[in-house]
Amino acid sequence: MRQKKRQYYEITVIARTLKRSEEAEAIPFLRLLRSPKAARNDSNLAKPGNLRGCRKERMVNQSEKGLTYHNIALKDNLIIDADNSFWAIPGEDGEGNPTIPRKALSLYENIRGDLDNQMNDFRFGANLTALYIDPTDRCNANCPYCYIPARIRKKGRSMTENELFFILEKAAKYFREQKRKAVIVFHAAEPLLVKDIIFKGIKKFNNDFKFGLQTNASLLEIDDVGFLREFQVGVGISLDYYSPKINNRLRPLDGGSGNFRAAIRAIEWFNGYEGMNVITTITKFNVTGLSGMIKFMHAKKVPCVLLNPVRLTQKNSRFLKPNEALMSRYFIKAVDKAIELSKKSGHRIIIGNFTNVILGIVAPTARRLMCDISPCGGGRCFLTITASGRMIPCGEFIGLKEFSGGNIFKSGIKEAMQSPSFKKVRERFVEKIEECKSCTLRNICGAPCPAELHSLGNMYKKAVFCEFYKKVVNHAFKLITTGEEKYCFRKQGLNNLEYEYKLLR
Amino acid sequence: MRKNCQKTNNRKEGKAKSDTVAYRLKCAKTANGLSHFVMYGDAPKEKAVL
Repeated sequence: MRQKKRQYYEITVIARTLKRSEEAEAIPFLRLLRSPKAARNDSNLAKPGNLRGCRKERMVNQSEKGLTYHNIALKDNLIIDADNSFWAIPGEDGEGNPTIPRKALSLYENIRGDLDNQMNDFRFGANLTALYIDPTDRCNANCPYCYIPARIRKKGRSMTENELFFILEKAAKYFREQKRKAVIVFHAAEPLLVKDIIFKGIKKFNNDFKFGLQTNASLLEIDDVGFLREFQVGVGISLDYYSPKINNRLRPLDGGSGNFRAAIRAIEWFNGYEGMNVITTITKFNVTGLSGMIKFMHAKKVPCVLLNPVRLTQKNSRFLKPNEALMSRYFIKAVDKAIELSKKSGHRIIIGNFTNVILGIVAPTARRLMCDISPCGGGRCFLTITASGRMIPCGEFIGLKEFSGGNIFKSGIKEAMQSPSFKKVRERFVEKIEECKSCTLRNICGAPCPAELHSLGNMYKKAVFCEFYKKVVNHAFKLITTGEEKYCFRKQGLNNLEYEYKLLR
Repeated sequence: MRKNCQKTNNRKEGKAKSDTVAYRLKCAKTANGLSHFVMYGDAPKEKAVL
């Protein structure tokens, strides 16, 4: 009971008070949580009246700024400033009591302003670095959860070579002016239906862009693999399970079968290519097999897997929603399996979206997967161009007509970025979401996804899988306490990072 | 009084048995190799103001 009550007190001020009054190098962690007087005296905190006998939820809501206490698990706690993601996990003194060294608190006081600014720039800077191009709206698959409405997938149009080159030319000009080399990703529906024009585009604009391709691999041939490797194209292969029966139910192709055989064949052709990844959509049909999936992919030398919870943007995907508690449990099992396999073998496998969560904690401004950041990257760091030339903040908005930022054949990228619909997406951030604004993990999870929540009725709601994200973030913190987070990075990725600050370990 | 002094001394001597962990990393070059965009390559980090 007493333990619970301690959680109520805000820490910033308490730390400041201790700094003046104590001489010890390390401060018992529980002392930080035990100074209601100091908390009452601080103007940034709740008013004294509110402190008395208030419930935990109310108190937390009133402590939105500064360092706060966060409980990772039964015995593990940390302090965190949710606005700038400064955090410290307590060590232990000789008697096993958790302590925070004074220098951690001094460090926090000294760099808090800089960290706030960094995070602000990162979150609110509009830094367009990627275009998703759908060269065709058509698809030869019928995945039950697809975010592209069936009428578009089956009756949509495809770009001509001239149209695709026009877009690439226009994009190249835009990014030259911005002095950036951007990423072009050929994405949904199935881009290899127009393989010829895509490959010609990659060849012609190789110096202007880095290229990526997301495919179900059903139309991939062995010569294509050589081409994609030669041009260092990033390749995402869609595969939902390690057995054909379940996978083909979730990834059925026109004509009856699914993409299992083709996807496995392609993965084997790529033979550990570092630009390859596998994307698995988590649904109620495959949720219990996530660690099996990791084991299977590891044996196939896949370096990176994304385990993405199904988005409920389209009505037909909602009946596939996995049980959240089950998903949390099996996702975490998959993370642990990936670490175990990476440790044991010479081949490292990472779960890209979990790595992004770790990054959200240890290197918040190095994150690249833009779904876990608020505001999200849609219409800010990337945008999608459909086969008809429509510019939308993200592919997830493809079925939502009101989110068009204009047509690239008639207007420009700059205009799209300034359009009201893009601004509407950028204006949605966690501090405006009632359920998120007091959450200590608000800038690690990012409350995805605006398109999904808009289609469910209100964009300003917490993430559909909020509890899942909380558990996953807590697991990430647990790995950090044991030093195992390094296995969640690619080796070359770690080399690209350097310490901004480091305490002890 | 003596009791208080003793407490302070204990605090001074109380060195951490396991260490506190607090660190932050930043991109030395780009975030290439880390997440989603790995697969698709990466782009430099310069920012543009809208």
